[in-house]
Parts: sequence; C-alpha cells; structure tokens
Amino acid sequence: MLDGVVLERRQGVGRGRQAAVFAGSIALGLALSAGVLVAAGVPAGALFDEIVVQVFFTASGLAQTITMATPMVLLGLSAALALKHRFWNIGIEGQMILGAVAATAVAVGGVGGAGMRPAMMLIAAALAGLAWIAVPLVLKAVFEVSEVVVTLLLSSIAFLGLQHLLFGPMGDPARNFPVSPVIDEVARLPLFGFGDVHAGLVVALAAALAVAVLVDRSRPGFFGRFVGDNPSAARALGFPVVATTALFVLLSGALAGLAGGLVIAGTEHRLSQYVALHATFSGIVVAVLARYSALGCVVAAFFVAGVYVAGSTLKVFYGLPEGVILLVQGVVLLTLIGGQFLALFRVHREARPAPAPALPASTERAA
Amino acid sequence: MEGFLTAWLGAVPVYMTPLLLAATGLILCERVGILNLGSEGMMAFGAVAGAVTVLSGGAPWLGLAAGLAAGVALAVPFWLAVVVFRANHILAGLGVVAIGLGAAATLGRDHAHKPFAGLGKLDLAPLDAIPLVGPFLFRQDAIAYLAVAIALAASVVLSRSMTGLRLRAIGEDPATADTAGIDVPATQIAVVTIGCALVGLAGAYLSVVGSKVYVDGMVAGRGWVAIALVVFARWSPARAILGALIFGAAEALIPRLQVVGAEVPVYILSMLPYVVTILALVAVAILDPARQGEPRFLGRAYLRQDR
Amino acid sequence: MPEDHARSAPAARAPAAPDSAAPASAGTAPALAMVAVSKAFGGKTVLDAVDFALAPGEVHALLGENGAGKSTLMNILTGIYAADSGRIEIDGAPVAIRGPSDALRLGIGMVHQHFRLVGTFTGLENIRLAAGGREGVPVGAALGERVEAIAAQTGLEAPLGVPVARLSVAERQRIEILKALALGARLLVLDEPTAVLTDDEAERLLALVRRLAADGLPIVLITHKLREVMQAADRVSTLRQGRLVMAARPVAEVDPDGLARAMTGDLAGAPAIRQARPAPGAAILGLAGLHVGGDGRVGVEAVDLAVRAGTIVGIAGVGGNGQQPLAEAIVGLRPVAAGAIRLDGDDLAGASVRARRDRGLRYIPADRAAFALADGLTVKDNLAAGDVGAGRTGRVMVPSGRLARLAAERIAAYAIAGASPERPVRLLSGGNAQKVVLARELDAEARLVIAHSPTRGLDVAACRYVHARLVEAADRGAAVLLISEDLEEIMALADEIHVMSRGRLATTPDGRPDRTAIGAMMLGHA
Repeated sequence: MLDGVVLERRQGVGRGRQAAVFAGSIALGLALSAGVLVAAGVPAGALFDEIVVQVFFTASGLAQTITMATPMVLLGLSAALALKHRFWNIGIEGQMILGAVAATAVAVGGVGGAGMRPAMMLIAAALAGLAWIAVPLVLKAVFEVSEVVVTLLLSSIAFLGLQHLLFGPMGDPARNFPVSPVIDEVARLPLFGFGDVHAGLVVALAAALAVAVLVDRSRPGFFGRFVGDNPSAARALGFPVVATTALFVLLSGALAGLAGGLVIAGTEHRLSQYVALHATFSGIVVAVLARYSALGCVVAAFFVAGVYVAGSTLKVFYGLPEGVILLVQGVVLLTLIGGQFLALFRVHREARPAPAPALPASTERAA
Repeated sequence: MEGFLTAWLGAVPVYMTPLLLAATGLILCERVGILNLGSEGMMAFGAVAGAVTVLSGGAPWLGLAAGLAAGVALAVPFWLAVVVFRANHILAGLGVVAIGLGAAATLGRDHAHKPFAGLGKLDLAPLDAIPLVGPFLFRQDAIAYLAVAIALAASVVLSRSMTGLRLRAIGEDPATADTAGIDVPATQIAVVTIGCALVGLAGAYLSVVGSKVYVDGMVAGRGWVAIALVVFARWSPARAILGALIFGAAEALIPRLQVVGAEVPVYILSMLPYVVTILALVAVAILDPARQGEPRFLGRAYLRQDR
Repeated sequence: MPEDHARSAPAARAPAAPDSAAPASAGTAPALAMVAVSKAFGGKTVLDAVDFALAPGEVHALLGENGAGKSTLMNILTGIYAADSGRIEIDGAPVAIRGPSDALRLGIGMVHQHFRLVGTFTGLENIRLAAGGREGVPVGAALGERVEAIAAQTGLEAPLGVPVARLSVAERQRIEILKALALGARLLVLDEPTAVLTDDEAERLLALVRRLAADGLPIVLITHKLREVMQAADRVSTLRQGRLVMAARPVAEVDPDGLARAMTGDLAGAPAIRQARPAPGAAILGLAGLHVGGDGRVGVEAVDLAVRAGTIVGIAGVGGNGQQPLAEAIVGLRPVAAGAIRLDGDDLAGASVRARRDRGLRYIPADRAAFALADGLTVKDNLAAGDVGAGRTGRVMVPSGRLARLAAERIAAYAIAGASPERPVRLLSGGNAQKVVLARELDAEARLVIAHSPTRGLDVAACRYVHARLVEAADRGAAVLLISEDLEEIMALADEIHVMSRGRLATTPDGRPDRTAIGAMMLGHA
C-alpha cells in the first residue's frame, strides 16, 4: 500500500503555506459538518442564515456568543498550557466541575463580605481546579502513571460527585430537577448591559493576556518552551524541569476551575449537571485552533462559542440534539490535525521502476 | 451471604464482557503502535447502532453485527488521521470520541428509552445449579463466552504465531518491520479496523445484551476504563481477562450493595470502578516500573524517511 | 597507516558459492552493477550518475565523508529509496527493486549502522521476523537449525535465545550478519560496521569479512576509515558530494594519502595539532576515587583525575566504557556513588546542575540533539538558554530585544551558516547546530568545559572548527575535559591522555601514551 508515494519532511514551512493549510482544514471541517447537519434534517439554505448571521451578526446572537466564549477562553488556555508542556490534561471537565462546585459553595455559604463575594468565588474555583489536577500531576511525577487515563477517570469521578451533591446536600429541595438553589444577587458578576455579557469577560481576557506574557516573555515561560520541546536538554541545562511543569500544569487546572467559577457567578447562577458539559473537548478544540497561543485562544473561543450558540438555535428550530455540536467539534478537530500533515510534508509519487514482469526467485536466476 | 456472593458473581460477566471486548480491541491497536483513545465514542456509536438495528426489527445477532460495523465506520476517520496523515494519536482519538458521542446522540434521539428483547442467556442447565459459581460460569449469554475466546485467541496469535511476531514488530520498531518487508501502514490500518470493530461490538453489547435499551450516555466512562485496563493487563489480551474480571466485579458490586441496602449513596458507590482503576494503575506502576509489554513505538508516527 | 595490505587479488580466489545461491557465472558479469544512479531530495542532488559494481567474491570499500551519498546509494540498492534515474543489474540481469522486500528476495543483505533488530525480540525471533515465511527460507524449527548451521560454519557466535537489547553491540552485529546469511544473501552490504566496535572486535569483524568473501560472498564495506580500506578491501570506490571521484580502484594501487584527498577534496589532513602547550594553572576539576553507577551498563570505577586551567585533558576509549556516566556525574545529571568531584577544590556533592553551571561548568554532550538543543525552538532561544538559565538576562522576565542581540552577536562570532535568530534549530546542518552549542557553552564565563565526542557526525571543516574553538577556550584559561572515541582528535588536542576501559582510567607516567600503549590500555592490558 502507498507504494511509490513518498513523504518528505518540508524544510521550513512558510507562513503563507501554514495559513492556507489552516484555512483549508477549517473549511473542509465546516463543509463536512454542514453535510452532517443537512443529513440530520437542516435545510441547506438555512445553514448560512442560522449559523453565520444569527450567531455573529445580530446583537442578541453576538451577545450570546460572547457570553458563551467567556469561559471557553479559559478552557482553551487550560488545554494549551498543559499540552504545550507535555501534560495531557484530558480532565478539564472534572477541574471545571470542581471549580463550579467550589464557587457555588462559597456563594451558598456566604463566605466573605458581600462586595468580595464574586472574587472569593473565583479564587475558590481556581484553587479547586488546581487541587483536582494536582492528583494526576503527583501520580505522574512520583509513580510515572500516565496522566492521560488518570485525568479522564478523575473527570468521571468529579461528575459522579457533582450528581451526588445535586441529588443530595447541594440540591434545591424546592425543585424536582437536580440543581442547586439560585445564588444571591451579591454573588453574581455585574452585567455590561449587552445581553448576558458579564464582568467575567474581563477576567478571561486578562487571563489570556497574563498567560501570553508568562509564556512568551517570562523566564518560567522560557524554561517551559525547553521542557515542552526537549525535557532532557532542559535538565542538562540545569533548568527547573519539575517546578516548571508543575507550575504550568497547576495553572492549567486553576484556569479550568476558574472557568467553572465564571459560569456560576456570571451566567448560570446555580449549579447543574450540565455546568461543564464537553468542557474537555471545547478546551482542546480551542487550543488546537489557536495553535496553543494564548491570545489565539481568545479568537478561537469566539468561533467555537459560535458553534455552540448555533447548536442551541438548531436544537430549538430543528430538534437536533446537543450531540450535533460535539460531532461538529470532532470533525473540525480531525480535519485540523490531519491538515497539519500537508503543511509539514510534501507528498509526491516517485517514478518507481515498472514492476518487473516476473521477478525471478533468487535460486533460479543464474545469469 | 452465599446468596449474595452467587448473585454478585453471576452478574459479573455482563459487566466484564464489554470491558474485555473493548480492551482486546484496544490492545490489538496498541500492539501495532496505534494509541486509540477513541473507545468511549466508538462504544457509544456501537451501542446506538445495535439498539437501532434491533428496534428496527433486526435480530439481536444483527444488532451486534451493527456494533461491529459501527466500530469499523469510526475506524476510518481514525486511521485516516493517525496512519495516513500522521496526526497526533491522542488528539485524533479525542476527535473520534467527539464524533462517536455526537453521532450516537444524534442517531439515538428517536430510539432512546425504548426497551427491546435483546439477546438472552444460554440455557446450560443443570450446570448452572452448581453452588456459588454455577450462574457465574453457566448462566451467561453467548457473547460473554465469545469475548473470552477472542481474548485467548488474540493472545495466542500475538505471542505464538508468525503473524503476531510481525504485528508486534510494528509496535516495537516499525523501521525494522518495514525492512523485514512488512507493509507498515496497510497492516496498521487492517489491525486498527479489527480492533475498532471489537470496541464497537463492546458498545453494542451494552445495549443489545446488557441493558436491552439505549440511553444517551450509557457507556458512562467504560471506554476510558478499557484504556486503563490495557495498561493494567500489560498489553496482553489473556491478562485483560483477569483485569476485566476485577473491574467487572467492582462494577457488579454496585447494584448488589444497593439491593442489600448498604448505606452508601449511589453516586459515591458508582465511583468505585474509577477509583479501583486509578489504584490499579498506581499499583502496576509501582510493581513494574519498566512497563513490561508496552510497545516501544506506541503513539508515535512512523515515517520511512525518518529512520 | 599500515602498508602491508598485499594480498591475493580477487580473481585468484576460486569463486565458491554460498550455500543457498547458484554459482556466479565465472566472473564474467559482476555480482552487482549499479549504473548511472541519480537521486535528488527536494531539488538537492545527493547522487549524480554514480556507477558502482561488485565483482563476485570481492570486498569493495565504498569510501566517503558523511553526506557524500554512500548511505543513499545503498538505500537505493536495498529498496528504501527509489532512484530518480539509473538501473541496477544483478549477475548481469536488470532488476527492479520497488521496496525492501524486493531487495531481500534478490539476495541483497544489508547490515545497517543502526541495527534493524527489535530490542524486545530474541535473535532467533528477529531472524524469523526478517524471514517472514519468505520463499526458500525454512520456517519453524528448520530455520533455527539453519541459523545454527551457518553460525557454526562461519564462526558467527551470538546468543540467539535472549532479547537482543541485552546483548553487546558486537553480538547484535553478528546476529545482523547471521540474519542476512540465513535469508540467503548473495551479497552483503556493511554500513560503517566498525564504528560501534572496540579495536579488538573490529579486527575480528574484518577477519570475518575476508573469510566470507573468500568463501565467495561479495561484500560492500561502507566506511570513512582509510585504515579499514587498506586492511580489508580488494577495491575501493570513493564518493564526494554525491559524485564518484574514484571508481573501483584496486587497493594495491592506491596510497592512503591519495584516498584521503579523494574523500575530502582540499580539506584533507589530520586535525591541527595544538602547538603551544601553556604552563598548567591551578586544578579546576578534581576527581578523587570517583564511583558512578551505570544503570545496568558500565559505570565509573575509582577514577582519579585533575584538569588544570589552560589545559586539555583527553579521555580516549571505545564508547560504552563509562564515558557517559562520567560526563553526566561531573555535570550533575547522575548521582555519585562514592568519591568526590571537586571544582576549585570544593566538593560538588549535592550541587545541582544549575549551581555547577553558575560556577562556570559547561557541557557539550555527545548526543546534542538529545541533551543540548531543543530543535523545535529558535536559534535565538537555544543560544540564550545558558544566560537565561543563569538569570543574566533578568530574574523574572526575558527581554526579547536583548535575546535577539545576543543571538545576532553569536551567530556572527561563530559564523553559523543558515541561522537567523528566529529560525528553528531543526533546520540547521549538524555542523551548524554544533556551533550553536559551542557559541552558548564556550561563553566568557566558561571555566570548565566537558566536551564529549564534540565532533561526532560532523564533516571535516566542522571538526576543525570545533577543535579550534576548544583550543581557544583552553588558551583563554578554561580547563577542558575532552572525552572522545576519535583517537586522532585526542592525540592532536590533548595535553594529557587517559584511556577509559570498563569504567577505569589508565595512562602512562608521562601522560602521553602512544598509539600502541593506548590500544593496549583500551583492551585493559595495561
């Protein structure tokens, strides 16, 4: 198979080529997704109107998209920081759940003065996410247990814990649904007066900026680049490899936790089972779209949020399940990472010698 | 007490079988160097495919075959990404999970919560009357036995046959396999297709044999547990039988404990298999730091020119 | 260079066939002919109409520098690459080689420099894998018997029932040759076969090569060591920059100097010998009764050594005799089991890599891709890594303007070709990548330089450059510990020479052993 097809690693990849491949991959992903949607019963003609116009070019759509994008920026940063530094954090969902639970607990428990409440919630959320990622970090550092599986499993455990709390200690006794009581007014982030867009947006943008400076301009960021590219060289150069990894991994968990806090304090105002639905996928798709750049995560989160908002529109009007959103993300993720190949390699067919009519067996071929 | 044990043991295979099928499929993939994280999505897609087939009037066997086909279908984008386009195996696997879960939710929207007859147990009376282990060994469905047979067969092929030698060589050292005249990408694609089919079958087992109904989210992390099981089994399908037995037993304990009225909240109890899995991974890491059996080239892209 | 290479010409030997192959047709057609073979990668010509022929029963040396095209030519023969043009004939009949399996079927046996053995498989499993149920190769127990028979017949002894990862390099190489023979090789290509062997093992191998050829098996010996050509080959062809500069000359007709000139062009000659030997200063590095664990391989045993300011101390020896543990222990990457490492008289026990670097220790590791460079990062980052690590560019932030200036200065000072500050190091050639390491490690604060095989894999010009910079560092007053398998390099540069064998150091009273003494010490006879 593939005989005669030769791959060559490109020497240096031009920015133009990178951009073209990137755009092409996204276009292919969206085209495939559109195909899926049409197959699922959405009229093809409605696609542009439903998605692009509604989501990005109407005031209410834009406000929804920005609101949705706010925690997603943090999820993207969380994924980017971990993946850049060779730690597969596939438990973003779990860390976000912990963050949401912690924020809700602070709000319900009335911790801190009224004016400080949202800040206390966000700090608690970040710490909770940090604590949850510390488990796989320690297991990897001490026992060399792969973080891939542990972060995944801890997400499942966090989700079960969330259900336990909602059906029990943190549930709202006045309602049949597994949700917590709505948090007090004082525990909510202020709105900007543009739809549901809230002060969390500032938090998310500030986080992106801070991560960008940390990664690109600081000494720990410099160490991190070496740890990500070649840990052995980093060690031989005397860089603090373990501390650097720990810093960025803990930060990854804290950012995911913070995202959970933002959702509670900014949008949902109460805990539900769906608080962190598909957070891991969203974070990774945002990070890959942003090519692990912090500021890129802001732009990428905006577009992925658009997919979510479009998804809920499609759900209302065409009865499509939420799963479609996931499907679209999966398709785009695969076309993106597959497309990288075309940027990195040159494919050409070699002129192999024509198949000899009958290759003589070695024993028969005395000249 | 004996009644409790008999009932518990008798319920184990139903939990053990999907884990074993999925783990065997994943081991096949990993033995040729392909790290497959897509099992959660493949199982979901297999579960819905099986349920839809049976609900549309197909026989249970046809439902299970649909599960196999669902695995094969999701194998295509996966091997395209990792074998042909040399994409990162972890990211590609997660992409496949998203596609599988999304497709399952989409296809399953009109078929969820509709019970059907499904595949029943074999009648091996009077053997099932043996005290304690009778129901465990002799009151099970055909797939439970088949799964063990497949795992044993895969184990023998991998460790004893020429084919197994060639497959393992790809996962250990694809450049050497290539020099030995093995078509590395074609073999990887073939094995990944078979492996994913088994994972899809595991999903179909959940709906067609286990619950006899499709519910969104019914895979509930079993795909992830199967991935951990591969590590625990040290990449041997025969050892995966033992691993699946332990994990299956932990899972089967949950409803048993509820039946006897244990005072542990249900969601906390449900964490048991995951906690057991993490502890098992830690134990294995301590006992075998050299990671015996792990294919040396696992999860990396092979390019002939790079050697 | 030994001059006693007179031996019978190949024609004088009776062409006896190896057991599986039909007899060659009385020397009329060459066993192998590659005619006008050309190959380009991404527009760059690496082989330009090269002819190569192998007579029945001869040892034909293929000589050339790294990058001359030797490996590409042989990779075309073994089906790994396809030629852009040209043809291949075996016993006079044109053949099509579309992949490695075609080459195997045609009886072309290749022993790569990096062995094609699965480490977790036993020797016999590896041979079984390569045989793969191929036509004419027995399966099952019969294959084992055949391998045993060939081993007995040729004297290729190696344990066949043990995972090869546990075997020595020489044993693995013997399994590779056994594998090729068991598969019915009618000609054998050995790619730099002695590069990984001790002198003693190399002698044994070359004797085996002569013996196999005498039995009628033609052999291509790829090498860049003139001495091996003179010692073991019947004819020699030389490649330089993808072109054949010397075609199939009988070895009896060439002299080593001519060969060297053909191979290297104008750059021929031994490395410049260090002229001025300054009066040694104070001891910078001191090793006292040093023991270091080897992680299952040879470690360091009771080593005493002093390296004084302004001197170069050379440690010769075949790789794998404890050099890597020694270097890593001094740098701080590997714990000391017993004894002391002193820097300026202070025991470094417990000092981190960082602390050692802060005191002026610098490291040029043998495997720069693995331990010195982050090749996905920019030239700028790699050049600045030492300064950023030490905090010289700022304790918290890294000013990018300052890094760019630093990079530009060092690129200019070390004439790093093809490097701009923002390019990834991955795109540099080996020599230029090594210059990035030198530019970073040989900075003004460098007081003790551990240079381990600093010219491995580099071309002649780059080697000379590295040597000049090491000498310059010593002249500036640094203490240099040069650990190398390249004896010429050690002889030319070192003020004092030690030989490392099985973890121990040996030398002569004057610290300047000659070749013979070094050879004896390598074998642990002194």
